[in-house]
Amino acid sequence: MNDKTILVARRELVENVRTKSFWIGIFFFPILISAAIVIPILVEKNKEARRYAVIDRSGWLLAAIEQTEGASLAASRFVREDVGGDSAAALDPEALLEDLNRRVGDQELFAYFVIGEDPVEGAGEFKYVSSNLTDDGLLRWFEGLASEVVRARRFAASDVDEEVAAWVQKPLRFTPRKVVKGGAEEDVETQDKVRQWAPAVFAYVLWFAVFMISQALLTNTIEEKANRIMEVLLSSVSPLQLMAGKIAGIAATGLAMLGSWVVFFYLATKLIPRAMGVEPSFDLSVIATDPVFIGSFLVYFLLGYLLFAALLVGVGSVCNSLKEAQNMQMPVTLVLMVPLFLLMPVAQDPNGTLARVASYVPPFTPFVMMNRAAGPPTTFEYVVTTALLVLSLGAALWAAAKVFRIGVLMTGKPPRLAEILKWLRAPVGQVPERRE
Amino acid sequence: MANALTLDGVTKRFGKVTAVDRLSLAIPQGSIYGFLGQNGAGKTTTLRMVMSILYPDEGTIRVLGEGNAEAVKDRLGYLPEEKGLYKKMTAAEILTYFGRLKGLGASAAKGRARELLRRFGLEDWADEKCEALSKGMGQKVQILGTLIHDPELVILDEPFSGLDPVNVDVMRDVILQMKRDCRTVIFSTHVMEQAEKLCDAIFLIHRGRKLLDGPLSEIRAAGDHGIQLDYDGDGRFLAELPGVERVSDSGKHAEIFLAAGADPQDVLARLVGRLSVRRFDLREPSLHEIFVHAVGGENHE
Repeated sequence: MNDKTILVARRELVENVRTKSFWIGIFFFPILISAAIVIPILVEKNKEARRYAVIDRSGWLLAAIEQTEGASLAASRFVREDVGGDSAAALDPEALLEDLNRRVGDQELFAYFVIGEDPVEGAGEFKYVSSNLTDDGLLRWFEGLASEVVRARRFAASDVDEEVAAWVQKPLRFTPRKVVKGGAEEDVETQDKVRQWAPAVFAYVLWFAVFMISQALLTNTIEEKANRIMEVLLSSVSPLQLMAGKIAGIAATGLAMLGSWVVFFYLATKLIPRAMGVEPSFDLSVIATDPVFIGSFLVYFLLGYLLFAALLVGVGSVCNSLKEAQNMQMPVTLVLMVPLFLLMPVAQDPNGTLARVASYVPPFTPFVMMNRAAGPPTTFEYVVTTALLVLSLGAALWAAAKVFRIGVLMTGKPPRLAEILKWLRAPVGQVPERRE
Repeated sequence: MANALTLDGVTKRFGKVTAVDRLSLAIPQGSIYGFLGQNGAGKTTTLRMVMSILYPDEGTIRVLGEGNAEAVKDRLGYLPEEKGLYKKMTAAEILTYFGRLKGLGASAAKGRARELLRRFGLEDWADEKCEALSKGMGQKVQILGTLIHDPELVILDEPFSGLDPVNVDVMRDVILQMKRDCRTVIFSTHVMEQAEKLCDAIFLIHRGRKLLDGPLSEIRAAGDHGIQLDYDGDGRFLAELPGVERVSDSGKHAEIFLAAGADPQDVLARLVGRLSVRRFDLREPSLHEIFVHAVGGENHE
């Protein structure tokens, strides 16, 4: 890069930094991240203990439930209120139900249960009354405990040996274990689950950034053409210097934005939970400092951006208005949409056939490989896909330079694809024929 | 004196259309040179080749003694016909940027931008964004942009088009000032009156080919002498007068060319009584007439 290219790049950067959309871009992501961290903490903190009541017509089930281990574990989440002693007979049953309905309706109680006369036989009325049937945590928890107690009774009633009963009831559990390189097993931690899904999030942010920044380049090129400033610039710099400067300047804008996002992501995951007095079950900030994630994120941003920048700067140079450009850039946009649709399938099966094949398609490589970071892909794949990407990047930049050189001085209707292909074959400085 | 610009057999084709055809030209240093021609005659293409924005298919161009115009880009100033400014930059910023692109240092460019803005009465607008400038002020800033690095050769493509009379004068003064500073100025125009008043020499291009080229005085002396007539009345009969070969009649003014051997006094005698004559003089033809005659002759071939 020479001085003039740097001058052009610097001007692009300064002009972009002065725009509102740059600052919206800078702050949009941090606000999103903060919200994603703060809101769940707030919700968790403000979740009140569910107050509930039980009318136990069996006379024994409630007491038995309260003695289980599960009941004492959830004592802070679910708080039972007494309703005039355990024996329902102490009060007029109709009046009691009416009173409970009123209290549930007034939100004094979250819900109440009615236990029928003979739970072992299933005789009698069993019901759960609440004003909120979507949040069924309480119902599931109570049902689970009640079933456990009743099951034990049933075994006892049918003369099954207590040990046999326990054996029959014992569920089969699979312990999740993770195999690391070399075949050694490790316990699965929450962190590993985050690692599994973080690449998909990163790939999405990557896609978003590439899309946004390369669009900025396109708009900017067209504005320069519409402003008629192109030729003034071309009397001082060569088209190649101008193009390189524009691409570099907008890349710097994008990197500044992404850099701020990464720094913010680190600070937010580190500081916000602490500031709110919550000890996070795992430390998200380790991802922000993971060189594999952050390194490949920035490298893939740069490569992905450059590839699409080359395509869009070519499109921009032959268009005279944004409207024309919207039509012309359709094929590029369609290609760029594919990795977005691949996001979920690849995240679920990072080393599957689809993910592997897509990795070798240069326009998809940055997004798919980022998405596969949890796999992770083999070194061979990293090397070959990156080489392919760099090669096609070189070809795209070469073609863009040729189109740009001719396109920027052109007015009138945009050329057809066949014409552009002719430009690519023309030697430097020659302008092939065009029919108006 | 050395030549600021030499073209030798320069040809430029766009597909099947030959925009510039075997053009040879020598422009001496320190002169004001007018590129004249109709729209689409090849003026802009020629100027773009001089600026190495386009490259000739054949022939050579030497600018300021260099075979490679890229090497002297920083010593040239260029004002394209299609020109604009970055709307979001201030006048001072954009001039500084243009100066830096031409190789000035940061502080030199800044100082020079302020100086030019002051000299051209734009001091108070130096820190306004270009979108806030009036059209005339914007055009001034564009002109200053071509002068920011004190170029040795200034190329102006249609500098007068779209200017109001006051700004035409500003532009004219800038061009004359550059001549006094021994700079070379080339400008293209299709308005002959402008060229007539300013140019030392002209070059007339038509359909990519050179029709005329040389000092304005010589070109005019070589043309047929004609009668410059200012009059009031109906001048339609002028062309029918005996001895008159052709007439270029503008309604209040006519240029009358006589056949060989015809006597201007005869013509004058026939006018009296039929028209109210305000001026009648026999002199060299106007550039307009030379242009029309040359281009017309070419068209009839």
